[in-house]
Amino acid sequence: MTAINRWLYKISFTSKPIAPLVVFRMLFGIMMFFSTLRFINKGWVKDLYITPKYFFTYYGFDWITPFNENGMYLLFFILLVSSILITIGLFYKFSTSLFFLAFTYVELIDKTNYLNHYYFISLVAFVLIFLPANKMFSLDIYFGLTKKEKHVPAWNINIIKFQLGLVYFFAGIAKLNYYWLFEAQPLTNWLKHQTDLPIFGSIMQYHETAFIFSWCGALFDLCIPFVLLNKKFRIYGYLFVIFFHGITSAMFPIGVFPFVMIVSTLIFFSDNFHLKILQLLRKIFPANSIKKEVYFRNQHFISKKTITIMLVLFVSIQLLLPFRYTLYDGNLFWTEQGFRFSWRVMLIEKVGYAQFFIHDPKSGKKKLINNNLFLTRQQEKMMATQPDMILQFAHHLRDIYTDTIITERNGEKIHLKKPKVTAEVYVSLFNKGSTLFIDPNINLAEIKRGHHQKEWILGYEK
Amino acid sequence: MNRFDIIKLRNIFFLALIIISICFGCRKKGCTDPNADNYDPDAIKEYNSTCVYTDFNKSEMLNNICDNYIVPSYSNFNNQTSSLKDQISIFSQSPTINNFENIRNQWVQTLLSWQEVSFIDFGPAEYIILKNQVNLYPVDTALIKNNINTGNYNLEFASNYDAKGLQALDFLLFQPNMSNQQHVDYFNNSTNAMSYLINISNDLNINSQYIVDQWHSYKTTFKNNSETNAQGSSVSNLINGLCSYYETYIRKGKIGLPLGIFNGFSQQEMPELVECYYYGESLPFAKRAMESMREYINGVSYISKTNSLGFDDYMDFVGAAQNETTLSSVITNQIELILNELNQLNDPLSNEIANNKPAVNNCYSKMQQLVPYTKVDMTSALGVLITYQDNDGD
Repeated sequence: MTAINRWLYKISFTSKPIAPLVVFRMLFGIMMFFSTLRFINKGWVKDLYITPKYFFTYYGFDWITPFNENGMYLLFFILLVSSILITIGLFYKFSTSLFFLAFTYVELIDKTNYLNHYYFISLVAFVLIFLPANKMFSLDIYFGLTKKEKHVPAWNINIIKFQLGLVYFFAGIAKLNYYWLFEAQPLTNWLKHQTDLPIFGSIMQYHETAFIFSWCGALFDLCIPFVLLNKKFRIYGYLFVIFFHGITSAMFPIGVFPFVMIVSTLIFFSDNFHLKILQLLRKIFPANSIKKEVYFRNQHFISKKTITIMLVLFVSIQLLLPFRYTLYDGNLFWTEQGFRFSWRVMLIEKVGYAQFFIHDPKSGKKKLINNNLFLTRQQEKMMATQPDMILQFAHHLRDIYTDTIITERNGEKIHLKKPKVTAEVYVSLFNKGSTLFIDPNINLAEIKRGHHQKEWILGYEK
Repeated sequence: MNRFDIIKLRNIFFLALIIISICFGCRKKGCTDPNADNYDPDAIKEYNSTCVYTDFNKSEMLNNICDNYIVPSYSNFNNQTSSLKDQISIFSQSPTINNFENIRNQWVQTLLSWQEVSFIDFGPAEYIILKNQVNLYPVDTALIKNNINTGNYNLEFASNYDAKGLQALDFLLFQPNMSNQQHVDYFNNSTNAMSYLINISNDLNINSQYIVDQWHSYKTTFKNNSETNAQGSSVSNLINGLCSYYETYIRKGKIGLPLGIFNGFSQQEMPELVECYYYGESLPFAKRAMESMREYINGVSYISKTNSLGFDDYMDFVGAAQNETTLSSVITNQIELILNELNQLNDPLSNEIANNKPAVNNCYSKMQQLVPYTKVDMTSALGVLITYQDNDGD
């Protein structure tokens, strides 16, 4: 026990050069700047946050709604500015806080756009707020807004390594399931569409290739954090990181994230490596550390005990959250209860088709809803396979039709007081054939949202 | 025989029984598709979801669909609109009953040839929204009459899409309660009406010619865009175009809408919304659309009708199945079922909807079943991602 304690103390509180943290701050800022710029250039601000008429909010975060067009562009402009400020290390506490809040706000607007890597960026930005990454090679130092520090407690750097390692390791754990390991799903299907790739294309048609990719992928994810931590094998591990992300980004439309991971994992390299980078940068920006009149407010030192408690809390939440799915019955991939925020990446191939009906309980008549009147194609597609989104949309329809008078084409007037909402949803998981997804007779208008078991999802038998 | 022999004999008997039953077990199920790698000629029971296919060539499939279906079928459609234009031109010079009937016959042929290309709903066709320019219905008869009266209109304007195309001709060539002679007289006595006919046929021909011309160069783009199946790739274009066209314009437009499925709570039928309401025959066109869809999916050549690489082979290659049957055969069978149902119906469809609703309902439900097969199973099997932004990846 004491050995573990000693180890924990060592990785938390020994003094370490600040260089890796400073380099990470700059790289993170630059990457966020360019990926935000890319996002804006692709017109996604409009497509995802301005065009849709309805947004799938997160349970408990329903108060997070998009701003109007100008407001949304302003929010993305804030992201751009704050990422520049992070890079140059100006008003660091303020700029990291601003970036974290703006970024997380954007991500919480609509579940449709959930990506594990956005969650990753939110977490890293959150952690950065509390790390003194501006204490060297920053404009805060240049302007004398903070005191220079050459060393920081080890946890300042290790927490980022932990966060990165966690993404890989849990992505690896998530792959340890029957479909991935013994059916090579979903890769077996996905790879067969890659036969026209240059060089590798011809091997993609074989079943064996999918198995090799699946097993190697799982092995890579599980091992890479430890390989990167090891001094001797680090460089080989990093080559694997480049190779792995290079291949996945060539095969799948996964945007900037392979690049983000390749750059971020540089933090695993030695202190010397990062010191050399800083020395190189000093040659380019020699103006650093010129101001002599240093003014700074008194440092408020937080006790080791408080830090320990906060670290334990953060780490345990991170470690436990991905396992919350075990509290639910049913096939995780089918019901997706406890699926998000768990580093389950590229795990399932799932397509759905949902038709909603509004019933008039008085006459027993029903009306078929045209989803596209309310949802974008992307929203409709994401909704059709995810039960919580199906329920949200049903509630949205309920709210629209509650206590309305509808004039039919033939002049008949229908007064809907409390409409019943049902949905006929077909879903195919892993290409095993579309089957009925939820109970088509259940009145979704009366089902409550929340984290309890969704009993109305039909069983998965394949 | 002593006891020992009896035991030995019994063991041999059981062993034989086990071997035989195992052999029967093996022979019972297997892949019965001769094109598959593991084709089992002894297989008695079809178990085609186990079929394995290698050596599928996506580029070859795209080449086949492009060269042997899309290009020749568009070219035929263009020839038909051109003939229609000619027939109308002949009629305008000598307005006889005979020439008028020639126009009608050519109109039927043109509309049939449209059914064969309607679902190629991407690329040049999508760019000019060909489907709305060629076959939008119901037509706005008041607008047509007004255009003819004033003689002041531009058919290129989107506001005139429901006053032109083949369905506007449906109204003009088959005006209610008018004999053939009365039709001839009508056009003969009104230069405006006659030039409206000519202008519609010109407009149709300009659009079909545009498509044919565009495909001369688009062909290369189409064939080369084969590396992924992501949004904007050729496979994705083909499949998304087909699925959404089928769902909206065949299932809904040809049957569902007039049947009243989409008509609010009342679900009251709207027979006036059938295709070719004035001609009074809608079913041949619905059947032609379904048959052509089947051939398009199966990679059948438009001219020679030989079956080469198509989406059916692609689905087989990725092992797509519904329960224990291959998805390709599920889809083909479902189209067969729809065709059977269509064959049970009688024209005019508008009467059938009013008088024989259960039969039309049956047909619609078969058509509805095809939607998840195409929209869910086929897109999923072919990895057609409808992605406007990044996917989750590691």
